[in-house]
Amino acid sequence: MENFLLSIQDFFQYEFLLYAFIATLLLALTCALISPLIIARKNSFIGAAISHSTLLGLAIALSITQAENDFLVLFITVMITTLLTSFLAISKTDKTPDDSKLGIFYTSTMALGILIYSLGSHQKNNLINFLFGNILLLNLNDLWISLGIFLFTFTTILIPLKHWLFVTIDPIGAEARRYKLKKYQLFFYLLMTLVIVTSVKLAGTILIETMLLTPGFFALNFARSIKQTFIYSILFALITAPLGLILANYFSLPSGATLAVVQFSLLMLSFLLKFLSQKIRV
Amino acid sequence: MLHLKNISFHYGEKPILQNISFDVMARDTLGILGPNGGGKSTLMKIIAGLLKPSSGDIFFDSFFNVNKDLSYIPQSNELNTIFPLKVTEFLTISLLNKKLTSDEINHALNLSGVAHKKDSLLQELSGGERQRVLIARSILESPKILLLDEPTKGLDGQGIDQLLKILKELKEKQNTAIIIIDHNINEVVRFCDKILCLNKTYHWHDHSELLTKNILEDIYHCEFEHLKLHEGGKHNHHDHIFCQHDHDHSHDPKAVNPKKHKYLFKK
Ligand SMILES: Nc1ncnc2c1ncn2[C@@H]1O[C@H](COP(=O)(O)OP(=O)(O)O)[C@@H](O)[C@H]1O
Ligand SMILES: [Mg+2]
Repeated sequence: MENFLLSIQDFFQYEFLLYAFIATLLLALTCALISPLIIARKNSFIGAAISHSTLLGLAIALSITQAENDFLVLFITVMITTLLTSFLAISKTDKTPDDSKLGIFYTSTMALGILIYSLGSHQKNNLINFLFGNILLLNLNDLWISLGIFLFTFTTILIPLKHWLFVTIDPIGAEARRYKLKKYQLFFYLLMTLVIVTSVKLAGTILIETMLLTPGFFALNFARSIKQTFIYSILFALITAPLGLILANYFSLPSGATLAVVQFSLLMLSFLLKFLSQKIRV
Repeated sequence: MLHLKNISFHYGEKPILQNISFDVMARDTLGILGPNGGGKSTLMKIIAGLLKPSSGDIFFDSFFNVNKDLSYIPQSNELNTIFPLKVTEFLTISLLNKKLTSDEINHALNLSGVAHKKDSLLQELSGGERQRVLIARSILESPKILLLDEPTKGLDGQGIDQLLKILKELKEKQNTAIIIIDHNINEVVRFCDKILCLNKTYHWHDHSELLTKNILEDIYHCEFEHLKLHEGGKHNHHDHIFCQHDHDHSHDPKAVNPKKHKYLFKK
């Protein structure tokens, strides 16, 4: 126990751990803000498709550069492949459901990514770092990027939240009042893409999906008003993110995976408590 | 206020609406009748701005602000109720450009008969109760044009009476123009001044009294019993329409009279 408490001090002793701590908090907050909207807008699958299609971009980046030192190349290649996925998501096909074409597309980009990676990459073990996160790669720049994304999300989602709620709850009514639904949708996909791509070192582009979904899932199951929904979502993220990071540091575990497991565990725990409290009341 | 000029619409090759023209003024009440698949909802979506006509023009007078003067209750309103949202919250979120007082909200919910549900969550309301909430929203919007696509669907008898009362008040006190699609033909014909019958071709009546049983039967391709139109000035509140074969005739081009009928009656 003492060791565990001592390990928390690490975060104030080592600069990179402090960066990781603050950046994770900011990322968790950002995810918590959009998480209920992702779920209510039924964009969870699109989120998964976007995060998996980062693999192709990462593979390309890793085969043309030592991407660790070249965030720009990484960012650009990943943005391109994920944007393709987002555009595919808003394009309408007549006969087949939208999720089917997304499923085909993102798994195929993954396959292509694996091929490119195994043919071209210089350092074979890097890909894992980016898919599942490695906070050892963090530097001060990443902290500023996290802050930027957080502020961007705050001003574009939380401040005009009522508009987002309206287009989500009553899209037909909103369209009749001349809201541009397509623009809202595209913007939302872009924002998800941005959050996923910038999470690359902290949580990894695949495990970020847990951070994007669990806070909202928790909140929507327990809240009885809009305000509660967002407060619960944020609290959930603010409790699990530091906890995940501390555990990862103490047990020397990969941060993204630890965070995801902590969030999932808390979610399960909350449902267990809900179930038990209902049993007791009856 | 609202003008349609030669509006046509087709999904792919399939023509749905052909050369429809009419004008709607303040205080007008226009009823749209026709069998399922006749294109009624399509026409209303075009007016509401959800669909673009394939050809023709639709325009509003310059004083009309499409962002807020138009209210639309769609045929199937699938509100997304994943968010826990109180009825009152839903109304304020829907009407961001209006500063609503809680008195106004209570009044509207009272008229549409869901005042007792104002603090309930939208996700816990029945279909009919949600429909009443949407009617309350339309009252709060105080629109210049109100579009209603089968608004009585899901409402009980009392709800239909309340709705008709609301519509009369909107028309008389606020000069609202009302366009209504509904299968309660007796009620619609009695309430409306103008009638548009749609079944690929269309029939227009400036005065609903001039709509006859024969025209309706022609439009619906079936016979009506118990149809009480304005003939003889007798109205019967409790009659219903029994349509023996309310099926889609769109696959059988010969079933539809290829000639375009346009009956324009003047007083
Ligand atoms: N999205 C669509 N794609 C193709 N055809 C459609 C679509 N929506 C409606 N239709 C066709 O348009 C016709 C008119 O539909 P609608 O306007 O909803 O009729 P109604 O008079 O019952 O409201 C129907 O025959 C329907 O099959
Ligand atoms: Mg319809």
